[in-house]
Amino acid sequence: MREMASLLEINELSKVYADGTAALKNVSFSVAPGEFIAIIGPSGAGKSTLLRCINRLVKPSGGAIRFRDIDAAAASRRQVRLLRRQTGMIFQGYNLIQRVTVLRNVLHGRLGYMNAVSGSLGLFSRKDVADAKAILHRLGLTEQMFKRADELSGGQQQRVGIARALSQKPQLILADEPIASLDPVASRTIMEHLSGICREDGITCIVNLHQVAMARDYATRIIGIHKGEVVFDGRPGELSEETIHRIYGAAPDWREQGGESLARA
Amino acid sequence: MENRLLALRRQKRLQTLLFVALALAMVIASAVRTEFTPYTVFQGVGEMFRFVVDDFLPPDLSTFRELIGPALDTIYMSYIGMVIGAIVSVVLAFLAAQTTAPHRGVQVATRAFASVMRNIPTLIWAIVLVAAYGLGTLVGTLALIITAIGTLTRAYAEILEEIDMGQVEAVRATGASYFQVLGQAVIPQFFPGFVAWSLYKLELNVRSSTIIGMVGGGGLGFVIQKGLKLFQFKEVSLAVILVLLLVAGTEFVTSKIRERIL
Ligand SMILES: Nc1ncnc2c1ncn2[C@@H]1O[C@H](COP(=O)(O)OP(=O)(O)OP(=O)(O)O)[C@@H](O)[C@H]1O
Ligand SMILES: [Mg+2]
Repeated sequence: MREMASLLEINELSKVYADGTAALKNVSFSVAPGEFIAIIGPSGAGKSTLLRCINRLVKPSGGAIRFRDIDAAAASRRQVRLLRRQTGMIFQGYNLIQRVTVLRNVLHGRLGYMNAVSGSLGLFSRKDVADAKAILHRLGLTEQMFKRADELSGGQQQRVGIARALSQKPQLILADEPIASLDPVASRTIMEHLSGICREDGITCIVNLHQVAMARDYATRIIGIHKGEVVFDGRPGELSEETIHRIYGAAPDWREQGGESLARA
Repeated sequence: MENRLLALRRQKRLQTLLFVALALAMVIASAVRTEFTPYTVFQGVGEMFRFVVDDFLPPDLSTFRELIGPALDTIYMSYIGMVIGAIVSVVLAFLAAQTTAPHRGVQVATRAFASVMRNIPTLIWAIVLVAAYGLGTLVGTLALIITAIGTLTRAYAEILEEIDMGQVEAVRATGASYFQVLGQAVIPQFFPGFVAWSLYKLELNVRSSTIIGMVGGGGLGFVIQKGLKLFQFKEVSLAVILVLLLVAGTEFVTSKIRERIL
């Protein structure tokens, strides 16, 4: 049932980097539309690699990734662009173009739909501009629209990051530790926005998180990765203390990373 | 242990003393060889002062109209030298920067080429070019273009190497094509450094175009050299004043532009 309706299908995915590091080993799971998946695991487990294989910022070494009707692992250059424009990405370091306005950063989400000339020159259509403004309004950034991106606070910049992803009108959002550089209050705001918008718009989301507590609070499903392998895949309620130990290994750095708030939660 | 440390320290002090003594000896030796003494300097200054006051002043203002043309030539040469140099250098910089070079060999070759262009002084280029093309502004312009390519290729390449690849990757992840990424993610980061370096090169060009002119590259430098040969010092002094004004003017304009853009 789930197989038929899946948006994303990952099968036996593996990645070995040029220096021989095996970052992913036989990772398989499928994602149904509307899921909000948190991927947790210790530093170096392969979380970023996994997300980056999905939108082909990293080329997989083996296995298959199917996104809708695109075979991502074997996609041509053109298909990779088609895949990427339907997939928004949010980064830990926000990665906004610092020197241009907030609005323009959001409009960058439209590039995948534009031709080479107008895209390179940044000649965005009126409709795109109007849509981008509406998205910024939704994220509470109307006032910041014409400011340079580097004038914003971290939390605001990450909201622009979300807005940029949304302007792609994506099917899927990949968020790589979106709150790792933010204070607890801003972290909450970002997670509220992200999960709220994805739910309202029916966007599927995969988010890498360091904090187990955050994963529990927002995810509909949690995938735990340890040394490149999936060691847990289930609902947040099924995530036991023991499983967390298994995910984070002998040295549970999750205790520092958010284990405390987990204990409180 | 203690003793060893003390001995080391003593040795260090001895080394320092030796170094100072050596440096001093070298200063004295070179002063003797070049006959540089405060007295000769003083004497020379007096002589220079007399020369300037008697022969150069006052500047011959009646020749002003004749100098407008050469002054404009100097400006054109500097400007065109910078613009064409900048255009060529941008292309070469993409080949020379580690982050954008298509191949390691291309990168090394481009860097070597730029280095040769840069490290042969503009003056030498001008002399060589005069032999090939004869006197005139063409030679001056070419010499300036050549050194601009040398300097700017390296400067631009360094800017490109410092670009934040995270920003570039984020735009690529939206599905943007190569040229879209270039236009929307690379150029915004490249632009401030590009403008700063190009304007700086324009300033340098105005200055060195005088020297180039003196070996036959046209412009005010050529007027100065001709005047010196014909002992028309009062005309020369007006030309020198014009050069100073041009340099100061360029610095003023470029700093204004820089303020506006950066
Ligand atoms: N470009 C690369 N070249 C070589 N090895 C890499 C590269 N990128 C990542 N790795 C290695 O692959 C493994 C997985 O890295 P990855 O960044 O996916 O982990 P992560 O789970 O995202 O960690 P973190 O929580 O620290 O972000 C690590 O051992 C890392 O050193
Ligand atoms: Mg990571």
